[in-house]
Amino acid sequence: MSLDRHRSRSLLSGDYRKRMKTALDVRPKLRSTHTTRTPPRGTARTKEKSMPASRTAPRRVLAGVLGTVAAIALTACGGVKTTSTGGDGGEYPSGNIEFSVGASPGGSTDLITRALAQGMAKELGVSAPVLNKPGANGALNAKELQSAAPDGYKLAVQNASLFTITPLTVSPAEATKIDSFDVITGVSRDDYVMATNPKSGYKSIKDMKEAGKPIRYGTTGVGTGAQLASALTFKTAGIEATAVPFDGGSPALTALLGNQVDVSTMQIGEAIENVKAGRLVPLAVFSKERIPYLPDVPTATEQGFDVQVTQYRFLTAPKGTPQDVKTRLLEAAKKTFATPEYKKFNEQNSLTPMEVTPDEVLSSLQSDTATYKKQLDEFGISLAG
Amino acid sequence: MDISPIINGFGVVLEPDNLLYCLVGVIIGMLIGVLPGLGPGATIAILLPLTYGVGPVPAIIMLAGIFYGAQYGGTITSVLLRLPGEASSVVTVFDGFALAKQGRAGTALGIAAIGSFIGGTVSILGLTLLAPIVAGFALDFGPPEYAALGVLGVLLISSVGNGHKLKAIIAACVGLLLATVGRDTFTGAERFTFDSLNLAEGIDFVPLAMGLFGLSEILYNIEERHNQVHSPAKVGNVWPSRKDLGRSKGAIGRGSLIGFFLGVLPGGGATLSSLAAYAFEKRRAKQPERFGRGAVEGVAAPETANNAAATSSFIPLLTLGIPANATMALIFGALLIQGIQPGPQLVAQHPDVFWGVINSMYIGNILLLIMSIPMVGVFVRILRVRPAILAPITVLITLLGAYTVNNQVYDIFLVIAFGLLGYLMKKLGFEPGPLVLAFVLGSMIENSSRQSLLIFGGDPTGFFTRPISGTVLALVLLVAVLPLIRKALRRRRPAEEPAGRADEPVEENTP
Repeated sequence: MSLDRHRSRSLLSGDYRKRMKTALDVRPKLRSTHTTRTPPRGTARTKEKSMPASRTAPRRVLAGVLGTVAAIALTACGGVKTTSTGGDGGEYPSGNIEFSVGASPGGSTDLITRALAQGMAKELGVSAPVLNKPGANGALNAKELQSAAPDGYKLAVQNASLFTITPLTVSPAEATKIDSFDVITGVSRDDYVMATNPKSGYKSIKDMKEAGKPIRYGTTGVGTGAQLASALTFKTAGIEATAVPFDGGSPALTALLGNQVDVSTMQIGEAIENVKAGRLVPLAVFSKERIPYLPDVPTATEQGFDVQVTQYRFLTAPKGTPQDVKTRLLEAAKKTFATPEYKKFNEQNSLTPMEVTPDEVLSSLQSDTATYKKQLDEFGISLAG
Repeated sequence: MDISPIINGFGVVLEPDNLLYCLVGVIIGMLIGVLPGLGPGATIAILLPLTYGVGPVPAIIMLAGIFYGAQYGGTITSVLLRLPGEASSVVTVFDGFALAKQGRAGTALGIAAIGSFIGGTVSILGLTLLAPIVAGFALDFGPPEYAALGVLGVLLISSVGNGHKLKAIIAACVGLLLATVGRDTFTGAERFTFDSLNLAEGIDFVPLAMGLFGLSEILYNIEERHNQVHSPAKVGNVWPSRKDLGRSKGAIGRGSLIGFFLGVLPGGGATLSSLAAYAFEKRRAKQPERFGRGAVEGVAAPETANNAAATSSFIPLLTLGIPANATMALIFGALLIQGIQPGPQLVAQHPDVFWGVINSMYIGNILLLIMSIPMVGVFVRILRVRPAILAPITVLITLLGAYTVNNQVYDIFLVIAFGLLGYLMKKLGFEPGPLVLAFVLGSMIENSSRQSLLIFGGDPTGFFTRPISGTVLALVLLVAVLPLIRKALRRRRPAEEPAGRADEPVEENTP
């Protein structure tokens, strides 16, 4: 902590311990200000105590400074302290609700979790810290969550692909099972689009088929929906094609823009700006119906190829979470879904709301798993290279 | 070129609110850069909600400030405690820590601050004038080019170390092997994971580097202290002398250019640029043996390059909508939240955001330089702390830092394991540098070459027929063969002076 001490000192005058204390005192207030979307404001008390010299600065910005400094102090210390000790007796929730993310900061799952956690924290009147626990495509986080206490203080937004596609590529023992979780609610759909570089001249799947040339296609990795969707498309269309797996969406996009591969399948949010700018030509989407963000792009089914692959996400808790807790969480989630901020978030990220009941989530997972497996068997496709 | 939007951009930045957000951003960035582990990515993720209430321009100005501010801060622990927080500052450790041991930590930090400032500024100039052109250049780099660059990088590693060449190569091979741990990107097969999910995504850079560099140094010192009375390192001058500045001038200039161009490449650009800048300086140097023992150029070159690269990594994001690294992905997310889609249309649709952010970087870099100067004096005092107190604190920070990356206790054990490995390596005369750098480049080489072969349909001649990868591979050949030729020539004329040193023919421009 000695470095920390230097940091605080050099930035703000005043005794270090006092600073840390004030930083911690701010915690609940700081969190609640996050959620209201007003400019962050520290409490007047903190301001006077720790930064008397800068009264001249605009209040709003100053408060922002304090808030951020406090947040930094919190993260620096938050690592050692395990949260969520509440839960014994009294009404739920009585403590922080931790949302864990099985992916690095910045990805879709991360952003969705943060948006949802922020709204739900406001509804429930508690803090909802988001922790990233990347590893094994989210399986690591899932394993941790399933062995956590089912008290509603640990939640995670999880991906359908972890339950429907990943099991097709890993050993049965390693596959994550949805039975280990209670689904609280569906969240949103994140559809895939297959696109090509305008230089290729293709406008549809049929064009590729008629060209009769072998296709090299970029995917976002093994065991992803992007890989499954493209493999199925080329197989059903009878196009000779080689998969080039990349580590995520942005390298697949880069390779396509640079014309290193002929087509790439990505999530819509990753491709949409380049599609609008005319640097990519969308060939097909893989949803049941057309997607409002790309209304002119026909589905694969419309083009006569029966391929439907979607990624969707849902909120989960460990198995055995009490019904009243689940109800409370569902209410909070529903209220969050209804806020204009959250709706705007969905639009900006090209996400389609899929705020359905747990039963619908479960039946989608089941039918998707069955369909994918059947199609892969039918065409003799192995996702593992 | 219409410069009025650029000028307007300055108007935007100079609004008091925006200036303050810029200041806040760079201060936070610098501070979190000091703490290893908690990188700019995690910080931006945590602070994201704070930006909702303000407009897009101040929000992105602040987040960008955090990102490049962290590059300044990262130098401090590399030099003082031998803890590189990011792959791109590994190279700085070699000479930076050597200088600190000689009581010249202030020189190292000072020159790094100046180099960072110049590198950053040159890169922003490049960003202002050339962004759309270089963006196209980034797209010309496909998997074959990355594979070739990776091979060049590994070759440069062998020239980086100062110890035994063979030992450096062995260490690099171990690094390449470690890079293979984890789930295969192409088949999903598990490799060396021993059925542990923690290893499924491979070994993380942070625990590896912190263990091999930071922890091993502490373990080694504990043993040393048993044998001799250990006094705190002396802290000499706090500011680089005129001689140091003169020596670093060229290194900073070349580092800026190397950093700018390699930084444009998404993925691995920053690390490669610091490595290339260092290796280039060492090859040019009249006394290459000074490197690794406390050469100021050895700090100036990589620090300039990684800062320049950090700045130019904004190019793919702002002009193509491609986030070059995890932090850029978060800034991408922050822009989306503000209702702005980063991509080819950003300049036209939101000139205030585009130019506001770019121009804020000029100001941010000046602020960072001004802050760094007094900070150097403060931080250098850390070395005055007795090792008996400093060492446990460093260990604590290291372990905490490793934990914060993935929030996994597992990573703490990984640091300890690599600390022990690093200690043993030091006892046996192996340097950790080649291992760590090869580890970073390993997965890039493997993935890119396998992707290339898929693209070529299995025909490896493609590597040589594509113009850029062909050039890079020719360079590889040159770098590999040249020392041998020179050696042979010298042997043939043993009577003559080791001639031809001043006019070394390795002047080929690094791409």
